[in-house]
Amino acid sequence: MKAGTHRLSGNEACAEGAIAAGCRFLGVYPIVPALEVVERFLKRCPEIGATFVQMEDEISVLAAVLGASWTGKKAMTVTSGPGFSLMMEHLGLGVMLETPCVIVDVQRGGPSEGMPNSPSQGDMMQARWGSHGDYEIVALCPNSPQEMFDFTIKAFNLSEKYRIPVVVMADEAVGHMTDNVVIPNKIELVSRKYYKGKKDKYLPFLREPALTGIPSMVDIGNGYKFHVTGLTHDERGYPIMNAECQEFCVRPLMEKIRKNVDEIVEFEEKDTNNAEIVVLSYGITSRVAEKAMDLATKDGIKVGFLRPIVVWPFPEKKVRELSKKIKAFVVPEINYGQIVYEVERCAGGNCNIIFVPSKSGAVHEPEEIVNAIKMGIKEEKREEVIQVKISNQQ
Amino acid sequence: MSIITTCLTNAVKKSRIKKVCLVSDFLYQREIVDSLEFDTFHVTRGRPIAFGTGLKLANPELKVIALIGDLITLGGNHFMHAGRRNMDIVVICVNNFIYPKIAGNTTPTTKVPFSQYAPFERPINVPHMAKSSGAVYVARWTTLHNSELTESITQALQKSGFSVIEVMAPGGSYFAGIPSLKNESELLKFYYENSVIKNGEDTRNVEIIPDNKIIVGKFFEQERPTFLDSYNAQLSRVMGDKFKPYV
Repeated sequence: MKAGTHRLSGNEACAEGAIAAGCRFLGVYPIVPALEVVERFLKRCPEIGATFVQMEDEISVLAAVLGASWTGKKAMTVTSGPGFSLMMEHLGLGVMLETPCVIVDVQRGGPSEGMPNSPSQGDMMQARWGSHGDYEIVALCPNSPQEMFDFTIKAFNLSEKYRIPVVVMADEAVGHMTDNVVIPNKIELVSRKYYKGKKDKYLPFLREPALTGIPSMVDIGNGYKFHVTGLTHDERGYPIMNAECQEFCVRPLMEKIRKNVDEIVEFEEKDTNNAEIVVLSYGITSRVAEKAMDLATKDGIKVGFLRPIVVWPFPEKKVRELSKKIKAFVVPEINYGQIVYEVERCAGGNCNIIFVPSKSGAVHEPEEIVNAIKMGIKEEKREEVIQVKISNQQ
Repeated sequence: MSIITTCLTNAVKKSRIKKVCLVSDFLYQREIVDSLEFDTFHVTRGRPIAFGTGLKLANPELKVIALIGDLITLGGNHFMHAGRRNMDIVVICVNNFIYPKIAGNTTPTTKVPFSQYAPFERPINVPHMAKSSGAVYVARWTTLHNSELTESITQALQKSGFSVIEVMAPGGSYFAGIPSLKNESELLKFYYENSVIKNGEDTRNVEIIPDNKIIVGKFFEQERPTFLDSYNAQLSRVMGDKFKPYV
C-alpha cells in the first residue's frame, strides 16, 4: 500500500502492517472478530506473491505457520479466543524450535465460545502461560488502527530478532474501529540471522554468547542435513533426556528474553512524576483511561497514566519504581482480573491496587475509572487488591 | 524403525529428488538422524501433515515426507483434509497393531494396548480412509517387504499429490512382557508370514481382521490436480492475465 493517510479499520490495518513487514504466508481458520484481517490479506495475496491456506482447525494453522516460517518466509496467523486456545500446543513448539512467527489474537468475550462480537481482555494470561512448560513470550497491545499497523510490524521485527512467536493482543473494539492510518515512506524491518559457514558444520542451536545468543537458521532442503525436535535437545538438535540438557535447552529460552528485557519492554507514560494515583491500562481500555485521567485532573487530582505497549514481558521495573512514589494504581481491564495481579506482584505492597472490572463484554465508562481514582485518594492502605463494584452489580 | 528409514533413504536416492524434507512425530535416535541425508523435523504428535503443509506451501520446491505414528488418532483430521486438498505430501503411516496370536487374548486396535481388557474397538482401515479422502497413491507393506516398500516410496515421491503408504511395524515397547514373543524380529516375521500380496485390491476389502491374512500391496493410484494446481487455476480464472502462478 502506498505511503500516506488511509482510512482503515484496525483489522485491515493489521493485514496491511503484516504485508508491509514482509509477511508472505497466512494460515487461517475463519473466526469472528478477526475475519477482516484475513479478507484483506487474501485480497492482496496474489499481487505481493504471498500465499494462504485455510486449514482444518487452529491446531494445524499454527503448525503450518511454523512450517512456512522454517522455509524462510515470514508467516502469520490471526485468531480469537477459541482459536487461540487450540494454538497453545504449537505455541509451545514454536518456542521450543525457536521459530519466528506472529499470532494476532483479536480478543472476544470468553470463556469457551463466549461473545464473538464483543471486546475482551480475557486472553492476557493465556498468552503468557497457556502452553505447558516454561517459556517467555512477547506480547503487544495496540489501542488504535494506527497501532494495529505499527505493532504488527513491530511484532514481526521482534519475532525475527529473538526467534520467538510474538502475539499481538488486540480486541474486538480496536479491530472493528475505523480511523486514519498513516503509512510511512520508510519502514524499518529486521530479518533473522542466517548461517553462512560450511554445510556440514551447521549446528541449529548454537548460541553466541551462550544462554542469551540467538541461533542462526538455514535454507531448508539445501543439504545442511539438520535435525530439530520439540524434545529437549542439544546444540546439534539431537534429543537428549537428562537434567543437564534440559538446563542447556530451556534456560536460554528464558534468558534470551529476560536479559534483553530493557530492549523489548515499551510503555507510554504521562504525568507520572508528581502523580498520587497512576492509571495502568492497555489496549482499548487505555483510551477510556486517558479520558478519565483528564476528568480527574479537572477535579484537581494528580493522576498519572501508564500504558504497557509490550505487556509481556511486563514492565516490572517501571511499576515497582512508581509504586514507591504513589498512593494507588488503578487498573481497569475488560475481564475479571488478570494483569492487575501482575501489577500487585510488582508493587509488592508499596501502594494500594484498585481493580476496575468492566461490565462484561463492554468497554468501561470514563466515570467508572474516575470513581476508582477518587476512591484511591480516600482509601486507607490495604493489603489486598481493592475491587471496585461496577454499576450493574448488585 | 531403522528398516523404514533405510527404505526411505534408498527411495529418496532412487527418485533423485534433491530438495527433500522429512517431518515426523517420532523420537529419533541419533544414529538414525545421522544416517539421513536430508533435513528432519520432529514435531508434535500426529501433526506432521499440518507442519508439512506449511513447508510445502511456503516453498513449493520442497518434497515433503511425513512419517507418522499417531496418524489416525491425533492426526486424523489433518490426514483427511490433506487428502481432500491433495496436498503434495508423502505420508508414511507406521502402524503398530497388537495381534491375537501374539498377545494371546486381544484383537487388533491401534491405541489401547496397555490394558488387559482392551482393545474392543474396531480398527480403522487406513488405505480405505486414504482413498476416500482423495489420496492419489495408496499402498500397504510390512517392514520385511523391503524392496516393495522402497519401490512404493519411490513411486510416491515421483508422484505429485497426497500419497499414503501404511507400514506394519512392531513398536518395541508395545510387546515388552508378552510371553509368547521372544523379540521384535519374531513379530516382524509374523507380519510377513501372515500377509498376502494383492496389488490393486479394492481398499474396502483390506481391513485388518484378527486371524485373517493381512492384505498388502499397492492398492490404488490416480491423477488429480494438487492443492497448488487448483490454487493457481482458480486465481488465474478470477484474475486473468494479471495473475502470476505461485510455484
